[in-house]
Amino acid sequence: MTEQELIHYLESDQLVAERSVPVPRARLSRRASAGLWALRVFVVLVSAMVVYTFVWQLGH
Amino acid sequence: MSPPPHVLDIQVAPDGTATLPPLTPEDAARSRDRFRVHHARHQRRRWYLLWLLVGPGILAMLGENDGPSMISYATSGATYGIGFFLPFIVVTFAMAVVCQEMSMRVGAVTHRGYGQLVLERFGRLWGWFSAGDLILTNLVTLIAEFVAIRVGLAYFHMGAGIAALLGVTLIVFTLSGGRYWRWERIVLGMAIFNGLFLAAALLVKPHWGSVGHALATFSPFPGGSFNTLLLLIASTIGATVTPWMIFFQQSASADKGLTPRDLRHGRYDTIAGGVLAALFGCGALIAGAALAAHGGSNIQGLAGAGFPAALSRVSGHAVGVLFALGLIEAGAVAVLTISASTGYAVGECIGAPHSLNSSARGAVLFYAANIGAALIAAAIILIPGVPLLSIALNANVLATVLLPVALVFMIMLANDRDLMGAWVNGRWLNRVAVAIVAFISVCGAAYAIDSFLQVVHVI
Repeated sequence: MTEQELIHYLESDQLVAERSVPVPRARLSRRASAGLWALRVFVVLVSAMVVYTFVWQLGH
Repeated sequence: MSPPPHVLDIQVAPDGTATLPPLTPEDAARSRDRFRVHHARHQRRRWYLLWLLVGPGILAMLGENDGPSMISYATSGATYGIGFFLPFIVVTFAMAVVCQEMSMRVGAVTHRGYGQLVLERFGRLWGWFSAGDLILTNLVTLIAEFVAIRVGLAYFHMGAGIAALLGVTLIVFTLSGGRYWRWERIVLGMAIFNGLFLAAALLVKPHWGSVGHALATFSPFPGGSFNTLLLLIASTIGATVTPWMIFFQQSASADKGLTPRDLRHGRYDTIAGGVLAALFGCGALIAGAALAAHGGSNIQGLAGAGFPAALSRVSGHAVGVLFALGLIEAGAVAVLTISASTGYAVGECIGAPHSLNSSARGAVLFYAANIGAALIAAAIILIPGVPLLSIALNANVLATVLLPVALVFMIMLANDRDLMGAWVNGRWLNRVAVAIVAFISVCGAAYAIDSFLQVVHVI
């Protein structure tokens, strides 16, 4: 079976050419954006604590 | 032979001739896999169809039963015995199945990886934040994987250099075929040996009444240091649900070519992976618990990760050998899957080709990230005096702390009707998923804040 025949077994959006077309940007509400930022700040702060503690433990 | 499904959009030129969209070697490789799936389904060969479609779920779950995870489970067992942590492992893998099912479904429906979708749907900032999180935790985790291989090999009197060489050689070997299918089957074949931990658990001859009691009652609840307990809870969660698994299973499902018709088998794959991983994880804990009455909380040797040697002394040489081989396997499989997830994330966020169905020449960045991350991690374990157990446990904690962001975006993608159409999350699944995110956030933050406050002498 040739590649041209085999290719019919793929869905059209499985092709590399189709997958490289970006999907449209989502419209986030202000609440959702604020929630994501709050989550990000929380995670960065907590990660900094974990890293600081780990480095402190290495030194002691 | 059954006819092809003809799902492609055939372009018809004004002169009436039909033209196909431009094809790449990646398309050709994936279409060969889909050809086999189509015929297995058409001919009702159910077991063969299942064999063709399993992979990403089992690999994500058993890949996460990695070196640091197994050391973490064994540490919990050695410190507290069989009790709270045994059923807790089962619960965390149930949470992992919920998260990974969403990941598989989004990959199968959209045919795109997690990093690419976050970047395109929510903007470059969030996309790179997610990828940055992943690359950081993957690097730390990869170091821990090489640590696990080193700990296992040390039992057989082999050094760090051999551990580094073994990990990097395995990556180069598995990537050399330029085919997703080949890579997946080799790694699946290796992942079966995660069952060595279960064999080790059987050989330590646990008291099955205690195992049953622990599973039914979550008791005895661990006492001792509150901070150590929080560390082990956070690292146990980080040992079962992590950012790389989300990236990996979604990208691998898309790379494998799963479609919405394959969702049922994708769920079987994910659940089978969760069950096997929980079983083997419990095996590591039960084996570790054999050390609880023998000073297990103070395991020393090779900078604190000498479980195989300690088990050998307490439960016999065979248990030590099995545990050591299990650690080598766990580290090796995770090196392969975590490196792949790094390659997917980098390729997706930069917009470069990112497929195991591409040749190295066709996806240079993907292959470079895949091998480069492992090379950096391998180089770090060659540094003398590195605190191995501390790295292994903290890698899991860091993964737990960074996980809520990845999960929130996953829930948003799985609820995105524009992307998912009829395959969006149901109401109950959303409630469970939100509860999981809240639980993980609280556990990760509790350890981080408690430890930090102790370090700065506030408590």
